[in-house]
Amino acid sequence: MAKKGKTIFQPGIKIPDMKYLTEDHAIEKMPPPKTVYISMSQGAGAPAKPIVKVGDRVRKGQKIAEAQGLISSNVYSSVAGTVAGIQDIVNAMNTTVTFVIIENDFSEEEEFLPPIENLTRETIIERIREAGIVGLGGAGFPTAVKLSPPKPVEMLILNGAECEPYLTCDYRLMIEKSEEIAKGARYMAKALGVDKIKIGIEENKPKAIEIFRKMDGIEVVSLKKKYPQGSEKGLIYVCTKRKVPACKMPFDVGVVVQNVATAYAVYEAIEKDIPLYQRVLTITGKGVNNPKNLWIRIGTKTDEIIEFCSGLNKDGIKIIRGGPMMGKAMYQADGYAKKTDAGVVVLTQAETNTSKQSNCINCGRCAKACPMHLMPMKIDDYALTERYEMAGKFGVMLCLECGCCSFVCPAKRSLVQSIVLCKQKLRAKERR
Amino acid sequence: MAKIIVSDSPHIKGPRTTKGIMLDVIIALAPAFIAGCVFFGVKAFLVVLLSCATCVITEFVYLLICKKKFIEILKDFDFSSLVTGLLIGLTLSGETPLYIPVLAGVFAIAVVKMLFGGTGRNIVNPAIAGRVFVFIAFSSTMTSGYPDPVFGALFSDGITSGATIASGATPLTSLLDGTITLSNLDMFLGTGLAGCLGETSKVALIAGGIYLVIKRVINWKWPVIYIGVTGLIAVALNKFDFSLFLPSVLSGGLILGAIYMATDYVTSPSTDKACYIYYTAMGVLTAVLRHFTKIEVVSFAILLMNLVMPLLNFRPRAFGEPSFFDRVKQKAAERRAK
Repeated sequence: MAKKGKTIFQPGIKIPDMKYLTEDHAIEKMPPPKTVYISMSQGAGAPAKPIVKVGDRVRKGQKIAEAQGLISSNVYSSVAGTVAGIQDIVNAMNTTVTFVIIENDFSEEEEFLPPIENLTRETIIERIREAGIVGLGGAGFPTAVKLSPPKPVEMLILNGAECEPYLTCDYRLMIEKSEEIAKGARYMAKALGVDKIKIGIEENKPKAIEIFRKMDGIEVVSLKKKYPQGSEKGLIYVCTKRKVPACKMPFDVGVVVQNVATAYAVYEAIEKDIPLYQRVLTITGKGVNNPKNLWIRIGTKTDEIIEFCSGLNKDGIKIIRGGPMMGKAMYQADGYAKKTDAGVVVLTQAETNTSKQSNCINCGRCAKACPMHLMPMKIDDYALTERYEMAGKFGVMLCLECGCCSFVCPAKRSLVQSIVLCKQKLRAKERR
Repeated sequence: MAKIIVSDSPHIKGPRTTKGIMLDVIIALAPAFIAGCVFFGVKAFLVVLLSCATCVITEFVYLLICKKKFIEILKDFDFSSLVTGLLIGLTLSGETPLYIPVLAGVFAIAVVKMLFGGTGRNIVNPAIAGRVFVFIAFSSTMTSGYPDPVFGALFSDGITSGATIASGATPLTSLLDGTITLSNLDMFLGTGLAGCLGETSKVALIAGGIYLVIKRVINWKWPVIYIGVTGLIAVALNKFDFSLFLPSVLSGGLILGAIYMATDYVTSPSTDKACYIYYTAMGVLTAVLRHFTKIEVVSFAILLMNLVMPLLNFRPRAFGEPSFFDRVKQKAAERRAK
């Protein structure tokens, strides 16, 4: 049995996790769609530059775009077919991004990376960079960069917390591909030159905890359910009791954190030479007829995915890309699956709360919930009165945008958005 | 497909609302209100009703003058003015002339709350400001009209008549003078105790307070700190006579003030550290002022601390930021390196 979880991570909030909708659904393979729209901006950093032309024939797993600079990643075709167009499309975040559109010919012809001869630190990192692997937890930071820290580290932490409610993609992956994840983690540990691997899993995933307890070389830290425990700094703190200093990176305390899905992608890239062109998405929420965990090719259109889950039912009124805490609501079910997506959640009126915001009553609940110990109500005040420097003094740049403050706010204020506004203004000012 | 809603994240939100919190406070105040009506009769009921009605009507009239639509006002109504009305009513005496609750209510809502921007924008607690306003403006009327309670004391022979309290003295000071002999249990139950209509029955107030704590509307620490510090300082000021602890805690409006007024969100600090300072200072202020002025000062103490509160609202140390000692150490190390 799992040991009792630790609650060292004091702030944060308890949310009904709603994972029962999909946690027992094995991951299915969604058949490849007729057309894929592959974004050139997959994750953090500069968009990749397309290296194919319209009319070119591409195979599944063929590189179609080259990384631009260090913080950027290669992009691979997720189907075999012909390039139908290279277009600028306004994506869900309302920014214009170049997309490569590929018509599928359903031949499933493959072209993978060449096999690796001898596994050394350098070849592993080079392979991870080549395979276009980014942090699949959501931030999308290139994994190769994370695995070559400027300082020596002593520990690799796998993030299996999955604290976002509703999502179960990491949980299913941990159960079904546990061996592979462990192997991927060992490769990453080798690349880092460390031999200590920890995995943080929340208590609501007892099966995953049990499986990983049986593996050698991996220490399981079972965590009490708490949001946002899966945030990098939060996870490092609960697993090692080390606090990442403000404005510093995890390697400053000798730790590198990687998502379990990233570990799986690393395994595939190294042992099977498969570049990253698909990932697991959770399609869930009470607004979907058949909630599922799906292997999805990068570039699949969201409404096709929802259609594969038997579509929306009549109560589904809010489509969210990502988890319900940090995801973005969409105007329609368009948008195309990316490496960093973790799920599509369709909420009903009863689940979502759209009440009007009222005056702050200074109850201090947001300050108590904030995992970074900030004072969101003060920052909100400064944002609305355009005193961004004061907001900066109140530590606005440390905010994770986890949404705890807005969740607990009895006045239903949009605190996260005020904070994001402050961050943008301060960044713009810095740049000038 | 149905119409799609787009809004900002997070897309799920907690069940708590401002309205819900205010309703909880109203439910918690109900026992005190009922006790007041039982002890002081129909007149007490009228006083509370009038102050509640005045507060709510004032808010509506104010918003109507501000050209808000009636339906919108009704939709946005969050019961906070009703709480204010209840608190004003409960801090008046049962014999108060009926124009006093009306004036207090109008002042509290129109001047203290709405002129500053409505719920959450007031700098002092409107109920306390309203009470202090009428207390100062009509001091002779306010301090003369304390009726005798309907029930006599159950556990002791003394009774605090309206006349004893007429000078504005609390049972505490009378106790010190030796003019009344009321047992602590009577003070706790409110039997045989004259005073403001909602303040006498401590058991009803504490029952409501426990409800609020269970509902997680307030933190039990803050009223306990305020009440405890007041009692201890009172004991210290009277040459460490510990028999005075309970009478000083149970007398006057301390419990009502500590549970329902001092913990008012808007006018109390929002971080734990600041709250410790705030409630301790409030307790010291109350005990010291009580000792030297010989009148009931809970509302004045809270009012004063409300005004000091913004100074206490400093920013807590963020996660991962060095503590004060760390910073000192770091600076020392730097100096040594030079």
